[in-house]
Amino acid sequence: MVFEIGRLCVKIAGRDAGLRCVVIEILEGNFVLIDGQTRRKKCNLKHLEPLETVLKIKAKATHADVVSEFKKLKLEIKETKPKKASERPKKFKKKKEPRNKEASENTAKPEIKTVVKNITEEKKTASKVKTTKESTPEKKKVVKKTTVKKKVITEKKK
Amino acid sequence: MPRGKEKSRTLRRVFKKLPGERTTLHYEKRKPSKAKCSGCDALLKGVPRERPYKMQNMPKTKKRPERPYGGVLCTKCARKKIISQTRN
Repeated sequence: MVFEIGRLCVKIAGRDAGLRCVVIEILEGNFVLIDGQTRRKKCNLKHLEPLETVLKIKAKATHADVVSEFKKLKLEIKETKPKKASERPKKFKKKKEPRNKEASENTAKPEIKTVVKNITEEKKTASKVKTTKESTPEKKKVVKKTTVKKKVITEKKK
Repeated sequence: MPRGKEKSRTLRRVFKKLPGERTTLHYEKRKPSKAKCSGCDALLKGVPRERPYKMQNMPKTKKRPERPYGGVLCTKCARKKIISQTRN
């Protein structure tokens, strides 16, 4: 049997393609448990390319045993931590306070009346303000009228 | 009447409905063609066809599949290449 426990293989498919792995356990059908430079998971035999070397590993070996065997063959294994899915921020909708219909009807009409009054009052106050001006920073220049003497040239009678 | 530059067939004609219940003709630029495998000229999957200004703003993971030779070779050609590299 080609795919026995301890057989070194190269993964062909998936994002682990091109990486070396070891067969740890034989499962039902065409599936096999692998570990090494790839992730520790089951894999189809069609996605594996067997190599000549066979490692001395027990069935269902741990990841640490596989790492030690790979170090002897001078194969580096990158240890990565599994990423935790970050929680998405939940959006909370602001609850609108229910409007009281009775209160809105009573307050609407008087508001309009007061607005009209305010406008008329403002006009009166504005008109008054125009007449009584406070001292402005700019002082007007007072120009006195000056008479300009025109020279009248009269021809002397000979 | 269309302008001279609008007559070229590199632009596509799109009818647009305006809010004033009127339809007008707009001339829009076309998208690029689909990406093909460099080995067998098969259409590649996982590669979007968008104009450069959209592709620049896309993240790298959305422009190609996450595997060796993703976006360059199809799955069949990639497998053949990896097998030939291991046997040699």
